[in-house]
This record gives sequence, structure tokens and C-alpha cells, in this order.
Amino acid sequence: MNARAVTTDVLLGMVPIALLIGLWQAIASFGYAPVALLPPPGAVFMRLAQQLATTAFQQEIGATLFRLFAGFSIAVILGVGIGLAAAASSAVNAVVRPLVRVLAPLPKVALYPALLLLLGFGHESKIILVAADALFPILLSTYYGASTVEQKLIWSAMAAGTPRRQILFKVVLPAAVPSILTGCRIGLVISCIVVFLAEMIASTDGLGHLLVAAARTFQAVDMFVPLITISLLGLVLNGLLQAVRSYLLRGFPEV
Amino acid sequence: MMSMRTLVTRSGPLLACLGLLGIWQIAALILNTDSFPTAMDAIRAIPSILGDKESLINILASLRRMAIGFSLAVMLSIPLGLTMGRSRGVASFFNPLLMVIYPVPKAALMPIIMLWLGVGDVSKTLVIFLGVSLPVIYHSIQGAKAVEEKMLWSGAAMGLSAAQRMIRIVLPAALPEILTGCRTGLVLALITMITSEMIARQSGAGNILFNALDMGQYDTVYAMIIIIGAMGIGLDAAFEKLRAQLVNWSEPRFDLPLSFS
Repeated sequence: MNARAVTTDVLLGMVPIALLIGLWQAIASFGYAPVALLPPPGAVFMRLAQQLATTAFQQEIGATLFRLFAGFSIAVILGVGIGLAAAASSAVNAVVRPLVRVLAPLPKVALYPALLLLLGFGHESKIILVAADALFPILLSTYYGASTVEQKLIWSAMAAGTPRRQILFKVVLPAAVPSILTGCRIGLVISCIVVFLAEMIASTDGLGHLLVAAARTFQAVDMFVPLITISLLGLVLNGLLQAVRSYLLRGFPEV
Repeated sequence: MMSMRTLVTRSGPLLACLGLLGIWQIAALILNTDSFPTAMDAIRAIPSILGDKESLINILASLRRMAIGFSLAVMLSIPLGLTMGRSRGVASFFNPLLMVIYPVPKAALMPIIMLWLGVGDVSKTLVIFLGVSLPVIYHSIQGAKAVEEKMLWSGAAMGLSAAQRMIRIVLPAALPEILTGCRTGLVLALITMITSEMIARQSGAGNILFNALDMGQYDTVYAMIIIIGAMGIGLDAAFEKLRAQLVNWSEPRFDLPLSFS
């Protein structure tokens, strides 16, 4: 893929976003919708820029990011660990498989009231909800990645005298990395969504709280700001994950 | 012996449910607080919810919105995803837009959509539609990309038009992947349904759950959690059955553990 084709792709991709913002501006400026319902995009982005500069807003973003990272990290550690263990041992597999079948399709948001009652309105309940939601995509893709490792690789390592325990970390884990990272990507998006929802439900602080507070006072402009912020956060985090991916997979053949 | 084994595998999820309920029961007995009733208490509260006509209508209304939102999303997302998977131009046209929308929680759009469309069925269904679309589009793209080029060439050589190739080659070949996306979408539909009803407290299963939480009716809270959880597990199992029927030609995905330990 040459540089020119990439530029064309990027420009082409900007078209629908530009159209969307254009449509938004048109609806606002031709008076089809009252400003109270749909503020013009200019006002929203100005407000966003203003807010980003204030420390209060930065603290809200900080709270959201802290929960997001804490929950996501727990999900990655548990997901990769359990996924590898389930792929390597049939005893673990026999326990994990039915549990995952039951817990994965369970809508975790429905558990949130229980978490609130047990853990309170602080960080803990939100972090655990994020971890519970992000866990399953990571666990499943780790498991699939680890259980599709070519058997020949394992046999070669065994023939070369690698201890069985080390095969897991020297052969299976590295071979499963692409699949694990795909799971992490899905898990990250889910984390963004869930942390925001949790903050909306137990509205104490964070970006979700800002949205609820704005909705209560019908401040349409302030309702758009947290939504755009979480979208931008998602983009930035996704970009970071892509960077990690291209670093970790530098030896792998292009997929 | 063999039948014993299959029996154990079949009843695995059931055993897991019972195990989880058992752990809950024991934990509740140990903690012994008002806000954490035992599993038995919660299960005992279920009949009174399902027996109540108004609650039942609420829950059915939720399911109807979910079904409509889900079907609409699937019908629109699959063609879009398949086209994006086969055509680079279409893909680069829509990709950035989807990437911007993806991390936004769809249920969080609820307060804004409510301003425009009111608190009724339309806004809730729209939010469910948005929530389901993205995973289905994403998996359809993956599925369409993985179609073997040779099959398309053969199709073209035998005189199939582009549209016919899409329907008769790409769609069936991508079906397993599409159905994986639909399965994710189904769970997401349930999540979005509950959160949207929590935000627009007017009707639905989410409304019952969070109202009970606000009023401190803890038995009802936990009973609703069980009902919603059962809905999720039931829908997922039903979908899995359907999937097995539709794509029984595709290899079951890696069901064996690795053999080295």
C-alpha cells in the first residue's frame, strides 16, 4: 500500500464525518431544530475546548480513565491467565467452559445494582463492572488463540528438550499474542462503554456523571461534550493499543 | 460410560448455574446483611414479579423493542458489512465514522435522543438498533474479507453478476462469522435495552430493576437480576441452536484442549 493510496483512503473516510457535521450545522442554522435541542456544532466544540482547559473537567476525565484502566488491567490479567490455563489443562477446561457459557451472555449491567449494594458508590463497584464486562472477550480470544497453536511447534519445542511448563510461556503464549490483542481491542471498547454507563447509573463523578448532570438541567451543549470526549478517548486508546500491537507483533508475518 | 460423559457435558452449564447460586447462598448467609438476600429469597421473589400482570407487560414490552431493534440492525448491518469487506473504497468511506461511533456508549445517547423523539418506544428501539449494528458490521467485514478469492473468480467466470456473487458466494461463506457477530449483538441488545430503560424510567425490565433499587426492595432487585440473567442465557442458548442448524457445515471451533501437559 503506497502513501498516496493511504491519503486517498483517509480523505475518503473524512467525507461521511464532514457530511454528518455539515448536516448537523445545517439543521441548526436553518432553524429546523431549536438550539435547546440541537446546539450548533461550533458551540459544542468551543465548549469542549473550553472545558478541556479547566482542572475540574480534567479531574473528571482522570476519574474515568483510572476506572477504565484499573478494570481493563484486571480483565487482561484474569482473561489471559484463565484462557491459557483452560487451553493447557483439560481439568481447568472442564470447570471454566460451563462457567463461561453461563456468565458470558449474562448482561453484566444488570449485576450493577448488586455491586452497588455490596461495594458502595465508590471506585470498586465501577472497576469490577468494567473488569467483568471486558473479561470475556479477552478470555475467549486467548483461549481460541492458545488452542489453535500449531501442534508441530509444541512438538518441536518438546523434542528440543523444553520443559513442559516452559512451553506454555515460550511457545503457546507468544503464538497466541495476535489473537489476545484482538480480544483486548474489543475489551477496550467495551471498557469505554461500560465505565461511562456505570458513571451514569451511580452518578458521583466522571464523564458519565457530567452527562447525567447536564441532562437533568437540559443543558444540551454540555450533554454533547462528555459524549465527544469519550469518543475521542476511545480513539486515542485504540491508537495506543495499535502501537503496542505493532511493537509486540514486529516479528510476525502480516495478517 | 460414553453416555455418562455426554450427560455430564450437556448438563455442564446447568451445574455451573447451580454452583453459582450455591456460592451466592453461602456468601449471603456469611455476610448476613439486608442489602444482600440469599439466593433462595431472591428465587422466591420471582413468581410474584412474573405473576404481576403489569410487570409481565413491562418485560414483554422490553423484549418486543429488543426484537425490533435487533432485527432492523441485522438486516441493515449485514449488507453494509459485506460490501465493506469486499470493496476497499466503501470500507475506507465508512471506517473512520464507525471508529468514532464505536467507543460511545449507545445507551448514553438516550438522554439526547429522548429530547428529540420523546421517551417512547422509538428512542429505545433506535438506541438498541445502534448498539447491535456495530458488532454485526464488524464481524460481517471480517467474514467477507476471508472469502476465498478463487470462488469469486469461478463465480464470475460462470457468469454471475456482482450482486449475485455477493448473495450466493460471499453471504454463505461469511455466515459463520456473521452469526458470531449476531451473537455478540444479541447480548449487547439486552444490555442496551436495560440501560436505556434505566435512563428513561417509563416501562420495561430495566425500569423495574432500578426502581426496586431506589425503593430498597432488595429481594425484587436480585430477583430481576436473575430474570434478566436467565433471559440472556436463554437467548444465547437458543441462538446457538439456530447457529448450529444454519452452519452445521462449518467446523466447530477448536473444542479440544492442547495436548502437551
